[in-house]
Amino acid sequence: MRWRNTDQSYGILAQGLHWLIAVLVFAQLGLGLYAAGLPLGIARLEWLTRHKSLGLAVLALVLLRLLWRLVSAPPALPESMSKRERFAAVTTHRLLYALLIAAPLAGWLYASAAGLSVNWFGLFQVPDLVAKNAHRAALYKSLHHGFVALLALLLVGHIGAALRHAFVLRDRIMHRMLPWTRPPA
Amino acid sequence: MMYRGGVVLVLVVAAASLPAHAEDCRSVDPARSSVSFELEQAGSPFRGDFRRFGGEVCLSGTGATRIEVWLDPASVDAGLPEIDAALKGSDFFAVERYPRVAYSSRSIESTAPMQIARGMLKMKGESRPLDVPFSLRRADGHVVLSGTLILDRLKYGIGTGEWSNTKWLGGEVKVKFSATLSGPS
Repeated sequence: MRWRNTDQSYGILAQGLHWLIAVLVFAQLGLGLYAAGLPLGIARLEWLTRHKSLGLAVLALVLLRLLWRLVSAPPALPESMSKRERFAAVTTHRLLYALLIAAPLAGWLYASAAGLSVNWFGLFQVPDLVAKNAHRAALYKSLHHGFVALLALLLVGHIGAALRHAFVLRDRIMHRMLPWTRPPA
Repeated sequence: MMYRGGVVLVLVVAAASLPAHAEDCRSVDPARSSVSFELEQAGSPFRGDFRRFGGEVCLSGTGATRIEVWLDPASVDAGLPEIDAALKGSDFFAVERYPRVAYSSRSIESTAPMQIARGMLKMKGESRPLDVPFSLRRADGHVVLSGTLILDRLKYGIGTGEWSNTKWLGGEVKVKFSATLSGPS
């Protein structure tokens, strides 16, 4: 296994970031939905605080991942894919990146505008992006929810497409992101 | 005769000095005053204001001699309707039962450049001695008293039940006030 991406497969770093972000995003969906449904109380404060810290971690990891793409180019999509498939893949990936940045960013803006700043896992104070403002807080809250809903929809498409490559087309596209498979001989 | 003359002299001197000791009492001008609070939520500062308050401050040549102030806890404004509603509820200020927070000084000491009022704070049915350090200045032809104090909210039962958890909701509340008195300086 290599750190860097090759033209056949993603390297360890890209794979690690992909799966770490994947786990965190699903944890965030669960945490966010659970916490938002709790009545105002210590439990909601606790879980939303963790949700905020984790969300900022996701944001940082996604930016790191984009940076790594610049350093080490991802493997190209194979010729076996049609133009339309490639367009769908590229567009979905771009939108996923955009939403993986937009959703936590809107959450951060929401927390800032609500006056509920974040102390990252109790380690350091995260700066507010905007001043406290109840109207803006409501706006950023809607944006956060909207971005997350779009992200969830795209994830359905992304996972569906990956499974199609793995089990229907059997073209090893999904395997490029799996750490335990070897590139085809 | 000397004795009687002495008594008369004392009385005359006492009468002559009366105007100098007469209290110059002025009301707090709410439009140009503020009362705000700050406490930690999940390790981050959380701020809010009280919008309705008032009172009277008596002055002598050197500074304040008496302070009687109040605030309406139902006017709490933390910028989020849900949190404001909770703050007015029975776990926090219980504003229906205790519609008024009041402070009255018993004595005021001068410790230049500050003064310290020693008195009683009555909040949520709990009367406790409280020393309030403040400074007095004259600005734009008005007398302004301002200061900061730290309260232990749990001593007054502000945040009962699960809210007494100071890990997630700090026990220390920093209160900042600035009171502009009506009338010329």
